[in-house]
Amino acid sequence: MGIISVTQMDELFWLGRYSERVYTTLRLFCRRYDMMLDELVGSYGEFCTMLEIPNVYTSSEDFKSRYAFDLENPDSIYSNLMRAYDNAIVLREEIGSETLSYIQLAIYEMNKAVISDAPMIELQRVMDNILAFWGIADDSMDSENSRNIIKIGKRVERIDLYGRLKLPRKEMKREIDRLTGRIDRCSVPYRKDVLKKLNELVAETQLDYHAIVQNIEQIV
Amino acid sequence: MYEQDLYEHADVVNELLARYGVKFGIYKNNVFREQLFPFDAIPRIIAKDEFAVLEKGLKQRVVALNLFLKDIYGKKQIIKDRVVPEEFVYASSGYLTECEGVCPVKDIYSHISGIDLVEGKNGQWYVLEDNLRVPSGASYPMIARELCRRSSPRTFMNVKLEDNRNYAELLRRAMDYVNVGGHSVILTPGRYNAAYFEHSYLAEQTGAHLVSGPELTVEDDMLYYIDSYGHKERVGVVYRRISDEYLDPMTFNPESVIGISHIYDVYRKGNVALMNAPGNGIADDKGLYYFVPKMVKYYLGEEPVLQNAPTYLPFYEEDMKYVLEKFDSLVLKDVAEAGGYGVVFGNKMTAEQKADFIALLKAEPRRFIAQEVIDFKDLDIKDQGKVVPRKADLRAFVLMADEPMVWKSGLTRFSRNPDSFIVNSSQGGGFKDTWVLSQ
Repeated sequence: MGIISVTQMDELFWLGRYSERVYTTLRLFCRRYDMMLDELVGSYGEFCTMLEIPNVYTSSEDFKSRYAFDLENPDSIYSNLMRAYDNAIVLREEIGSETLSYIQLAIYEMNKAVISDAPMIELQRVMDNILAFWGIADDSMDSENSRNIIKIGKRVERIDLYGRLKLPRKEMKREIDRLTGRIDRCSVPYRKDVLKKLNELVAETQLDYHAIVQNIEQIV
Repeated sequence: MYEQDLYEHADVVNELLARYGVKFGIYKNNVFREQLFPFDAIPRIIAKDEFAVLEKGLKQRVVALNLFLKDIYGKKQIIKDRVVPEEFVYASSGYLTECEGVCPVKDIYSHISGIDLVEGKNGQWYVLEDNLRVPSGASYPMIARELCRRSSPRTFMNVKLEDNRNYAELLRRAMDYVNVGGHSVILTPGRYNAAYFEHSYLAEQTGAHLVSGPELTVEDDMLYYIDSYGHKERVGVVYRRISDEYLDPMTFNPESVIGISHIYDVYRKGNVALMNAPGNGIADDKGLYYFVPKMVKYYLGEEPVLQNAPTYLPFYEEDMKYVLEKFDSLVLKDVAEAGGYGVVFGNKMTAEQKADFIALLKAEPRRFIAQEVIDFKDLDIKDQGKVVPRKADLRAFVLMADEPMVWKSGLTRFSRNPDSFIVNSSQGGGFKDTWVLSQ
């Protein structure tokens, strides 16, 4: 396609962010779901604290249902998947019908998970479809600029989430290196001073995760 | 036998249509919802020879309508020669004074025409209406064919059909023909428009940019698309999917927030092509429809190949008399309405409704047309596992470039309600593919 508007750039960026948010929080949720199967005291509060989302849940069961599937809950995985869809549906001509269809398929699997006794099976398929979406986007989209904008959105979201989750330096550095290597290859305007700061922060002896999260939120 | 394989795969096709987001938007009680457009796998089949006649008639009709538009916004000879009464032109909401004396690029007004037809039980095709403003629907059979071929390859190995997946090529040809230099764009009102799927799909298939009003700007009588670097890229043709009144707030409705200020000035100066041209509403006005066969004779000197449904204009005293006499056997249409709205059947009214309607008809005779209820040929559909007959129409598409091009397919819409003649998707109708046999 060659050229895109500012609105489309924004939509591509947020498509990248929301798809990453769904993917990473699903991975976390599935691990937590497994832990919660036989734990005596609900650990969902710790999960909410870790992600800095409000703990509005009343029990483990309530958390398992509403954090994953409640469309009225803006923090739920399903809500984030719908935000990814909202951005994807207006980008059909840029990303292609085939690429778009994987977001739609993820929604179908999510709908099945909502009513399933064993939702981890369907949630695995949601993740599979997100991975397929990224794969086909990378493989089939003509515009390098557009591909890179989605990837920048993914990186920004991943650094944000990894920072909140306080992941080890190796993983933080890998993501910041990836962001640094790609961000100049697309039209997303960004703050060079913030990128420099992020690279400095990840090189410090003691990682300041709070500062990393604050900075990544300001980069674009 | 092989068609049976396709029918058995109807659910698979509908799943695939859902997967690719083949939906239409609808507002109900002020809430927007996206709905799947129900697809029925039993196609409408048109023989090669039969379609050849339709093709000839469709080209003839659209050429005449284009000449009418050029005339009506120019010399108005057809009025001077008393073929069309001026009351029907100037009183129509489709006539736009702003279009007076403005010539579109290469004199093409209707680049994409959607002509709605029905087939009578006697095999005779009738034109029900012409859609020359923003006709929609071609994308649905186009993608449905693709998915049917995928789900039932054996069917298509054994039936020799015209391939209808070339619609985007025809559209691109129509766009390129009038492009005055620059990018080709499809202008959409946005995601919450009923036909948004079609806008985005046609943009993908033609390689045009899908844009909304704020992404375009006018400077020095040129139209530009602003890219993400802030660069201005010239636009040479706009396939606009928004109606005339919202196109340019400086010329038409000043409250429009989805249009582009001064785009009409750019168009007037010939610096961009608009598809379709503003002002086309006059030619697809339900009142003017009556005169289309006369236009064919007047402009082309030919007998019309396609017939209108027998139509009466209560505006004429003689027709009013007939309409009042035969009220119960007629269908009455409000010329200002579209989408299946404003259509009433005389025999479905209560005595009170009838009296009220007749009073309105007498007060505003120009507002209504009356037509004989055509005994359409029903088409079979599959409903909950059973094959049942339903009313169906055909929207044929004619695209204009250096020559008129008839798309060898069409959108067949059907009513899902056994007692209804209304096939519109907004009123619960479904669609079928239209097969034109190539042998």
